[in-house]
Amino acid sequence: MLRDPETIHPVNENKTWPEIRDKLRQWRKEHVRCSDKIVELGEYALAHYSSNLGNEKWAVYEQLCVAALDLCPVKMKVVNRCIQKLAEQFPSSLRVSMLEGLKSEYLKKWDEALEMYNGMIEYEPTFPAPYKRKVAIYKAQGKVSDAVSELNRYLTTFSCDHESWLELADLYIGQQSYKQALFCVEELLLQHPHNHLFHQRYADILHTLGGKENLEASCKYYCRAAELNSSNVRALYGVLMSSSTLASIGKISAKAKSDNLTLAAWACDMIEEFYKSQRVGKSVILETASVLDKLSLK
Amino acid sequence: MSEVQLSLRSYAKILSHVVQYPYTAVNGVLLTPASPERKEGDGNLRRKEGNERVEVVDAVPLFHYNISLSPMLTVALTQIEEYAINRGLRICGYYHANEFHSDNDIGFVAARIADRIAENCEEGACLLLVNNEKLDHIATELPFKVFFPVRSTDRIDWKEGEEPILQYGERGLTLGPEIMKTQLYQSVVDMDSHYDDVRCHWDNAALNEVVTLFTESIPDLEEVEE
Repeated sequence: MLRDPETIHPVNENKTWPEIRDKLRQWRKEHVRCSDKIVELGEYALAHYSSNLGNEKWAVYEQLCVAALDLCPVKMKVVNRCIQKLAEQFPSSLRVSMLEGLKSEYLKKWDEALEMYNGMIEYEPTFPAPYKRKVAIYKAQGKVSDAVSELNRYLTTFSCDHESWLELADLYIGQQSYKQALFCVEELLLQHPHNHLFHQRYADILHTLGGKENLEASCKYYCRAAELNSSNVRALYGVLMSSSTLASIGKISAKAKSDNLTLAAWACDMIEEFYKSQRVGKSVILETASVLDKLSLK
Repeated sequence: MSEVQLSLRSYAKILSHVVQYPYTAVNGVLLTPASPERKEGDGNLRRKEGNERVEVVDAVPLFHYNISLSPMLTVALTQIEEYAINRGLRICGYYHANEFHSDNDIGFVAARIADRIAENCEEGACLLLVNNEKLDHIATELPFKVFFPVRSTDRIDWKEGEEPILQYGERGLTLGPEIMKTQLYQSVVDMDSHYDDVRCHWDNAALNEVVTLFTESIPDLEEVEE
């Protein structure tokens, strides 16, 4: 029988009660989607530490239900049990109704789920979750333009929801509508000007669009991302890629070419230093150096 | 008739990648031994398209996030090419799993990346599309559709071929359920994981070792006859 101790180690083994509670809290806070681990740890916590959890157990029931839906049909009983417990404790709760809606979505009862979500929106228009589930349903049905319209409508009201701007950008990227995707990320940059990941994303889209002006702009945004976080290796590679490409374009001035070559060399040095600082193996460093040479020549 | 032979090592990595990120599209490249130097006059021996055998010995998982954006794809392919050259391998194909369970066709993104990879292959390229609906039956069949390139002057069309052949046949298929049961898929590293933490290497050496142990544990081992 195949055994690899690292991966078959039960999540709950040798963990103390506070560790279990804190792990579940961390996953809730960070919205980590490791559903198999959540189900394993959540079921264990509810079975053995229900009284320790106190009122926190309701949050764990909700967390467990959503994770168990990812593991259906095997974990459908867990889903039903969670919904039942929560409905008993919180009758006519919108959050419990959301779980019912998610279950209908899993069963591909799209009309039933949409009706439920539309009802919730009418009853409580300030509750964001059902709007987003409608978008998810349209995506699952392959109705991307409906998903885009719905998400645009949602964002006119909930314009601070950065997760939704990212989702809309992804939808546009999937449709190769890069200019619209840029607009979404611009909204994110306005709201989160110090987030290196958004600068890097903006640069990625510009680079994908291509053309001299877009490459120049992407180079600037990659530089800003690297400035905000010097460990963002994607941003460093992005500086290298964009500056090398610009240096090789025929229609630029000698000074611009020289500046771009200097920038590319700087990016190479930064990447090499970064790999060395992370103490990766010598063979990796040698291979990376060779890769950087190749990328610089392009 | 073109065919793809899939090693257990490559199968383990592709399956692990797909299962580790079930809620998003994933992709990766396929590796084969590099061809020996051609002698002059050997041109006639080159297999014509439509009659190729692609022996996939390894796979490198690429991304599970932002699959469609180009800069990191270029960096990743350059890194993998360097890795392959140093080990007597070359890139011979591309695998792709769509985001949705029912979406089992080649989309724009998959076609674009597969075209790019095929353009850099002199011969023997393939596209492995994960058939998400067959992931429930990995105990009895491989969850892949295989496509081969048909090249014309300005484009490449991908034509569906026969299902791939797995190393060790039916005995090899038992690796899939074993990966699920032991949750081995959790240890897979792709290029996205590497860029998040460069200490993780996308050669998945740990997974390779486990597959070797699995192979050694198969009783009465026989190679699949060619």
